Amino acid sequence: MAGLASTSGLLSDAFATTPAPSADSRRSNPGFRLVDVTVPSGIHFRHNSGAYGGKLLPETLGAGCAFFDYDGDGWQDILLVNGVDWPGHKRDHRPEPSTLKLYRNNRNGTFSDVTRGAGLDLEMYGMGVAVGDYDNDGWADILITCVGQNRLFRNTGKGTFVDVTKSSGLSGRQAMSTSALWFDFDRDGLLDLFVCNYVKWSPEHDVFCSLDGKHKSYCTPEAYRGETCWLFRNRGNGTFEDVTATSGIFDSSSKSLGVAMLDYDHDGWPDLLVTNDTQPNKLYRNQRNGAFKDVAVEAGIAFSAEGRARAGMGVDVADFDNSGNPGIAITNFDNEMTGLYRLSDGGNYVDVAMPSGVGLASKDKLGFGCVFLDADLDGALDLAVVNGHIDDTVRNVSGVGYAQPPQLFLNSGNGTFVDVAAEIGGGFSQPKVGRGIAYGDFDRDGDLDLLITSNNGPAYLYRNDQTAGNRSIRIRLVGTKSNRDAIGAAVKIYSAGSSQSRLVKGGSSYLSQSELPVTFGLGKRDKVDRLVVVWPSGRTEEYKNLAGGRAYECVEGKGITAQAGF
Amino acid sequence: MYSRGVPRSSAFSSPAPHRSPTPKLFLGLIITLAAVVVYSGYITRQLSGLRELQNNLVDRNRKDSLQLLRIQNDLNSLALAMRDMLDNDEPYPLTAWSAQFQRVRTDLDDALRREQQVAPVNRTPEQERYLETSVGQFWDAADRTFVLAQGAKQAEARIQIQISLRARQEALSTAVSRLLVQNNESEEQAALRIGQIYDRVQRQVYLFLTATLIAILFTSLYLIRSNRRLFAQLAALSAQRSELAQKLIATQESTLRHISRELHDEFGQILTAVGMMLTRAGNQAPEKSELRAEVREVCEITQSALDKVRSLSQALHPVMLEETGLESTLDWYLPVVERQAGIHVSYEKSGESFPVDGNAAIHVYRVVQEALNNLTRHSGAKEAWVRLRFMPRALEVEVEDHGRGFDAPAAKQGIGLVAMRERAELMGGTVDFVRPAPGEGGKGTLVRLTVPREKLESHGG
Repeated sequence: MAGLASTSGLLSDAFATTPAPSADSRRSNPGFRLVDVTVPSGIHFRHNSGAYGGKLLPETLGAGCAFFDYDGDGWQDILLVNGVDWPGHKRDHRPEPSTLKLYRNNRNGTFSDVTRGAGLDLEMYGMGVAVGDYDNDGWADILITCVGQNRLFRNTGKGTFVDVTKSSGLSGRQAMSTSALWFDFDRDGLLDLFVCNYVKWSPEHDVFCSLDGKHKSYCTPEAYRGETCWLFRNRGNGTFEDVTATSGIFDSSSKSLGVAMLDYDHDGWPDLLVTNDTQPNKLYRNQRNGAFKDVAVEAGIAFSAEGRARAGMGVDVADFDNSGNPGIAITNFDNEMTGLYRLSDGGNYVDVAMPSGVGLASKDKLGFGCVFLDADLDGALDLAVVNGHIDDTVRNVSGVGYAQPPQLFLNSGNGTFVDVAAEIGGGFSQPKVGRGIAYGDFDRDGDLDLLITSNNGPAYLYRNDQTAGNRSIRIRLVGTKSNRDAIGAAVKIYSAGSSQSRLVKGGSSYLSQSELPVTFGLGKRDKVDRLVVVWPSGRTEEYKNLAGGRAYECVEGKGITAQAGF
Repeated sequence: MYSRGVPRSSAFSSPAPHRSPTPKLFLGLIITLAAVVVYSGYITRQLSGLRELQNNLVDRNRKDSLQLLRIQNDLNSLALAMRDMLDNDEPYPLTAWSAQFQRVRTDLDDALRREQQVAPVNRTPEQERYLETSVGQFWDAADRTFVLAQGAKQAEARIQIQISLRARQEALSTAVSRLLVQNNESEEQAALRIGQIYDRVQRQVYLFLTATLIAILFTSLYLIRSNRRLFAQLAALSAQRSELAQKLIATQESTLRHISRELHDEFGQILTAVGMMLTRAGNQAPEKSELRAEVREVCEITQSALDKVRSLSQALHPVMLEETGLESTLDWYLPVVERQAGIHVSYEKSGESFPVDGNAAIHVYRVVQEALNNLTRHSGAKEAWVRLRFMPRALEVEVEDHGRGFDAPAAKQGIGLVAMRERAELMGGTVDFVRPAPGEGGKGTLVRLTVPREKLESHGG
């Protein structure tokens, strides 16, 4: 207990200086509301898992989503990943083929389905999505992870995408890929690609598993052999080199579902955290020479506090205690609790899920996507988690629901979190078979909206409406020497004696990607005293006295420009 | 008198010499304490043995088994990795697995190091050496395999894995399994021994409790017996003391009665005869002669001596008690006291009188006499109240004064007070010394003698 108490104390010390509101007051007045704008905004998407009764493993795992600005107009668009019917099991009730869906932001709160026009009306068994401008042409490119062959789509800048899988050198790799992210691991200014693979699976080798001993159910990964993750180095000529083996990433025992980038050791070189299902998580420390070394065990992130490998699903990394260090959230299976890790003074991670209140609240949940975001713009990062079981017959066996309510843990600022999902409206807490979650300010009002996907179900778009009058500042970074998306840039603001930090990053969550601009909640403050940007190239820039309530575009080496509003 | 249940004979025989129970009780206490110390020592020894078993065997075994399981898990990971390497379905050279092997090696080395620290005491040096050398040989072979793989000799490396690495891994796995089985067996044996210790301790606890109960039982019986003896002794001594007091009082009364009678009968007769003879002799002397006057004077002296002898006789033992009873004696005696002591005595009688046996009457009389003696000597009072109450079941006599009173503690009571108590007890009654009622000023002394009626009517003393 003493250990827990001291941990809480450390957290509270690191948090904002304002007195922490009580849990009840947070619940009664969360400071914001969510409004379900899925249908009015024109999002009509239903995920097709292809489930026909065969209970094939991939059916229960997809799919992801992304907020990204594909047309460069400054408004966040939406990409939703879809599966397909299994060969030989085509279901004819669908009015149209189940393809990826690209929704263009109409800048008025609505979206238009531009999938066909963009050339993305393609059927594939898609799982996840990673967005990054890998060719530094200013246009966001897309990687779709699939069961089978992953697909890379290059953005032409004319509203269309071209499938460059083959020409990029990514073809010929069959796997059950899950999450992926773009990052510049060798800091050459080019985004490299990391892809998680789950297990060695094919329909022909699907294993019969059963919860009740009679009927087939979805297997847990113990039934299958692991599959290594992949690391592809960007050669800068539109092609990629598979450096999985030479970089030390290769690990045939991994059963990876989530990946997040972080700079765990503050050396300016991006490290990777990979969550594995029933296998130890991996923390790949960048050796600064093109190689990685797994230090998860030493760092205390590989296993649970009991020394057991949990079923790691989604992951996100952020400075949730405003200590300047990256904290970690990892969703797990039901009865395993979400892991909430804080970097201790000793340099290793300590799971503070229990003292923070996240542990117990997530005990009966099977978590997937998770994102840190400042939902109420109070200056402390909150945690949104989507939950949902993998088997629809689970309730008959264990009493745990198949559809489960998403959770939104408001950061109390004193080391504890309070789930306010039921209080923020919009039907957000209605049970869902949640999988992916991403945030982005699609309506450019300065707060972060949420996009959720559900397995074999609809996607949900929740608009965030602030009710407490908190302000924010948003920064969009454009790299010049660094990769153009500035992925890997560390942004830190100082305001009224407190500081917050963000990392521009892709990946995180589960199969999904949030927007790249960073958002800082300022509470009632209306300006930022100091903004410090450390670019992936190593360049550091500092700006002073920035007004809140608006967005800024910061171009590496060229200064910062205030936008009109957000 | 003998209503306490003490046999009369015992009052006369001296009590049997009986030793104090303290030495035996002290001995019993020492034996009990020694038994507790011995038993505590025994329990402590058993507990330390249990702890030793828990710490050195069971806990150590469990910790060791956990490390062995970790080693086994690492060996399984290596086996899976080798299977993947041999399956050849990855597009990567065999060297890709070197990082994976290295990770397992790091963990395996750590597990082996920890396992050696907590290895059970019954692990033989041969077993230790076998594990150590086998792991070393495995990694040597693995290193050679990766050297081959690096040298583009993938096929040879795969053969090495097939024929050498896998065999070594399987042998290691078997050895670790054996150690795990050995640990399990040791743990089962330890559990058995622990069970035996618990059984033994349980038996000893029952035994100790039984012995303690028996000791308590015997000690209690012994104490009861000793107490009974002590009380019997006390009762005998008390009876002896009462008997002695009774005899003393009886002897005193008998002596006084005898002297009184002698004085009355012998000296009285002699003096009466002398008086009569002197009177006759005087009558023979001439009238108004000097001789006649002198004889008359001698005659008057003789009469005075006779009166004094009679008065002394009456004082020593009022014959009236036997002749006319207690009431009349008191009627006579109290004015005598008034006259002799110069105090005023208010005498009250109440109730329907009943006859009082002569032996009892002398005791009542003596108590009143002693009370009035004390009053005149010590109280300084000039007035006294004597009350004689005939109650249906008892006789009550009170002597009260409002003088100085006395607070003498029992231990310093004079012989007179002791005698009053003894006489009261002889009659089966009580005597109380109290202060008069507050309405009477609260000063002085009230002596109250209460004697049951049946004792007065049939007093055999």
